[in-house]
Amino acid sequence: MDSKKVKATKTQDPALKQKSPAEFFSENKNIAGFDNPGKSLYTTVRELVENALDSAESIAELPTIEVTIEEISKSKFNAMIGLVDHERVDAELYDDYENEKAREKRLAKEAREQERQAKAIAAGKKVTVPKAGKGRGDTVFYKVSCKDNGKGMPHDDIPNMLGRVLSGTKYGLKQTRGKFGLGAKMALIWSKMSTGLPIEISSAMKGQKFISFCRLDIDIHKNIPNVHVLEKKPNTTGWHGAEIHVTIEGNWTTYRSKVISYMRQMAVITPYAQFLFRYRAGTPEKNVSVQFVRRTDVMPPAPPETKYHPSAVDLLLIKRLIAEKSKQTLIQYLQQDFVSINKSYAERLIGEMGPDFTPKMLVKDLTDQQLVRIHQLFRQAKFDDPDGDCLSPAGEYNLRLGITKELHPDMVATCQGNVQVFEGHPFIVEAAVSLGGKSVKPGLNIFRFANRIPLLFEQGGDVITRTATKRISWSAYKISHLQDKVGVFVSIVSTKIPFKGTGKEYIGDDITEIASGVKSAIQQCCIQLKAKLVRQKAARDKLERKKNLSRYIPDVSRAIYGVLASIANEREAKRQKYEPDSREILHKVADKEVTEVTLSRKLTQYVDQVDAELALDYATQSGLVKAREPISLAGVDWTQANYLELHSPVCVMKLLS
Amino acid sequence: MAPRRGGDGGNAGGELPKRLKTDGAILQTIKDFAEATARAGIRGEKRSLSDLALEESCREVAELGSGEVKEEIEKLVLSVTKSILQGQGLAYTVPSRTSANQLYVEELDRIVLKDKTSIRPFASSSTVKKTAITTRILELVHQLCSKQIHVTKRDLFYTDVKLFTEQAQSDTVLDDVSCMLGCTRTSLNVVASEKGVVVGRLVFVEDGDRIDCTKMGVGGKAIPPNIDKIQDMESDALFILLVEKDAAFMRLAEDRFYNRFPCVIVTAKGQPDVATRLFLRKMKMELRLPVLGLVDSDPYGLKILSVYMSGSKNMSYDSASLTTPDIKWLGVRPSDLDKYRIPQQCRLPMSELDVKTGRDLLEEDFIKKDPRWYQELELMVKNKEKAEIQALSSFGFQYLSEVYLPMKLQERDWI
Repeated sequence: MDSKKVKATKTQDPALKQKSPAEFFSENKNIAGFDNPGKSLYTTVRELVENALDSAESIAELPTIEVTIEEISKSKFNAMIGLVDHERVDAELYDDYENEKAREKRLAKEAREQERQAKAIAAGKKVTVPKAGKGRGDTVFYKVSCKDNGKGMPHDDIPNMLGRVLSGTKYGLKQTRGKFGLGAKMALIWSKMSTGLPIEISSAMKGQKFISFCRLDIDIHKNIPNVHVLEKKPNTTGWHGAEIHVTIEGNWTTYRSKVISYMRQMAVITPYAQFLFRYRAGTPEKNVSVQFVRRTDVMPPAPPETKYHPSAVDLLLIKRLIAEKSKQTLIQYLQQDFVSINKSYAERLIGEMGPDFTPKMLVKDLTDQQLVRIHQLFRQAKFDDPDGDCLSPAGEYNLRLGITKELHPDMVATCQGNVQVFEGHPFIVEAAVSLGGKSVKPGLNIFRFANRIPLLFEQGGDVITRTATKRISWSAYKISHLQDKVGVFVSIVSTKIPFKGTGKEYIGDDITEIASGVKSAIQQCCIQLKAKLVRQKAARDKLERKKNLSRYIPDVSRAIYGVLASIANEREAKRQKYEPDSREILHKVADKEVTEVTLSRKLTQYVDQVDAELALDYATQSGLVKAREPISLAGVDWTQANYLELHSPVCVMKLLS
Repeated sequence: MAPRRGGDGGNAGGELPKRLKTDGAILQTIKDFAEATARAGIRGEKRSLSDLALEESCREVAELGSGEVKEEIEKLVLSVTKSILQGQGLAYTVPSRTSANQLYVEELDRIVLKDKTSIRPFASSSTVKKTAITTRILELVHQLCSKQIHVTKRDLFYTDVKLFTEQAQSDTVLDDVSCMLGCTRTSLNVVASEKGVVVGRLVFVEDGDRIDCTKMGVGGKAIPPNIDKIQDMESDALFILLVEKDAAFMRLAEDRFYNRFPCVIVTAKGQPDVATRLFLRKMKMELRLPVLGLVDSDPYGLKILSVYMSGSKNMSYDSASLTTPDIKWLGVRPSDLDKYRIPQQCRLPMSELDVKTGRDLLEEDFIKKDPRWYQELELMVKNKEKAEIQALSSFGFQYLSEVYLPMKLQERDWI
């Protein structure tokens, strides 16, 4: 250890270099989802959208979010940064320079290609013209904008809220959307790294007369915001919220489908939000515009902050919690800073800690050894499980609505599991299984959500994927998981989602509590569907029964008549061995009184009769069913109109005219 | 024949070949065993289901002549016709062949069918097709019996592909029809295509032709599907060697193993068909020879032995004429792997499914009844190792016929 230090001091600057959090993330941007330009574009969008949702939900406002991605051509980009377009003078200097040999090769290839196409055209086939690939130098830039109707930011805090990584320490615990608490900051670092252009923020708080406008970038080494402009503009429309523009390097072509399915899945899990997604390309025919309309105004409550469960803390956290409160006594600390510890339990715990602990001692006086003892006891002692009040699941109602509005399935079943606990953190599993729907592929379509955001990557190892593909016996529920269009939606919310892998893109399959929770939630949905499917099949059978039975009448009557005819053809004497009524039948067969037609007619009559009886049975059991039509009710604006109100001790009913 | 010990198998086989006695000494051992078996066979009288006072009533079928089968079908069809003409449609009462309706009878050492039946009505969407197929099969069998000809199951299927849609359907219904009529499947004049092969010291007459199984070359004589055409079995063999695999059979036939140690070698190339099982039973009953089984050391090898001995669940209604009691398990047994020092690279790890099959087998009555079999299977499941007969080839291709089997016979190493 020492020798190393000596070496280091000799060769390098003797002053120890400190790395700022911003620097750390810029060097390890893959862990925050900025692996490559395409993924960076995707992650930027999702960070902005999730920030916007959080912001609107924090003031209980139904979110309305507009996302725009604008392609910026190289020359436009150069114009933006004030760089003059340079024509290539020394062509050989560039990597994509084509020397004599390569050109010959290319021309030969093109000639072959043309020949092939000519042949294909002659054969009447459709021809796809191969696109010219982009060279390595052609990086593409995008301006990503996101506008919401959320809380907005206080004018003076804007630089620090966006321009400093990990600026605030969170005290307490909460179900949050963000995975690292980085939010838009990482996008800011990425823009700084790839384009060097500053970001622009407009923001207004509720009832604020002005709109704050800020243009800033981040000093990565010092981890401080570098403000270019911070000014107030008049707010004429009464808008509140935030609008962020960030210009980054990206790749729309490869991540187009990911971005769009992210938006779509977000719309599924957040049906109370209105999303408008637009893509503006250089050429208008490549433009994309998708609107995800709001379908409900029931919003899950914002998840409240909660305290740690004793079994979920580590030594460092214990110290940190103590550092925040200096005047607390030990008993107060145990009682107030943790869930599942009441006064008497705290006393018992202190008694168990040993003779050098007293309830009245101040926590700041605890020695390091004593803290270790507390930690050990937290690990070993038995505590009540934390309750799920701090969790805010999407809710079965919203999940169903979201699925219905985005996928239009024939059937949906939803289920919300009970609160369960893993390592001191409560979690809730919600699941939905849908059948049919437009743009749903045959087979299992798995949609994963963690804390109400969609997970799109690394689905192979995920507990949800594995449970749905391996541990559910779909056929037992009358579902064919290879042919039917099955949508499996599982949403897990928790104060701490146990993600696996650096990108935090999937939940491991090694946690029994979660695996069994997911399995039982999916099974519950399947049970509901099975009942429906069985009923549906019975109804279908009813319609087809007669057809089915009648189909086999010719086979049976021909076969029976075949045997009868062959016996009837035998000598009279042989028939003596049969019963009298059998002999009579054989006589009739011999006299052509009973033929294949007779048998078939009798069977047809019989089938008609059976069918009528069974249809009656079915009707008495299930009652008359009238055709149903799905209707959707629009949200009512209670503030605008006057309705007749009927008051009762428990509720008020408003009559719509 | 001079003993050709050693050979290419000698070096790799280690100590074992040196311990082999002369063929004469080994022969004497087998002779004693064969005589003991024959004596036991005379003493152990044939027992049938009716001799046992079983609590549950069971269903068994009998060998019926064409005329009798025809009459049974006619009776059935006439009663069905009556029901149709009376406007009541039709329904068949079919004995259930599910595993819940099977019973292992320890005294007989075979599976029998209990008497549960199910109704197969025409007026139900779920059974209408089967009812139609049953009717059609009845008609076809009636034709066969009238004309006194035999067809294969495949032939039968192709007479009405449109109705049967797949052969499994017509095959299943054919077994149902046997049960309904109370006759063996062979009595219906429908046979399976030939699969089994026999070679060795056996002479019999098939449909008038005298067949000498020592003069059948390397491939052996195919076991004919119509067992009733086989008569006058004669043999100077001391035992019957039942082989699971075609490859091992070929090795033994080519090495003329049956000339060195007089025996009859039979294989059904995997799961035995009805004809091979009938043939083995006939040999055992008429020639009173001990039967030694040579199968792979895996759960499926044991299953095959169990089918020969106790019968399959699918054909349990006819287990009386299909099973051969008292087959000795010669090899390759799990304990042989270490005893004959079969190298690690020739042993295969058992898959999860294999182990599960093995565990299930441990629960089966035919394994439980013999503690030695149980121990062997337990060893297999514990070590999770399996080996095929071919694993013995690791000591040389002829190790099986020149060292392994003679050694087994010398040591009377069967259970």
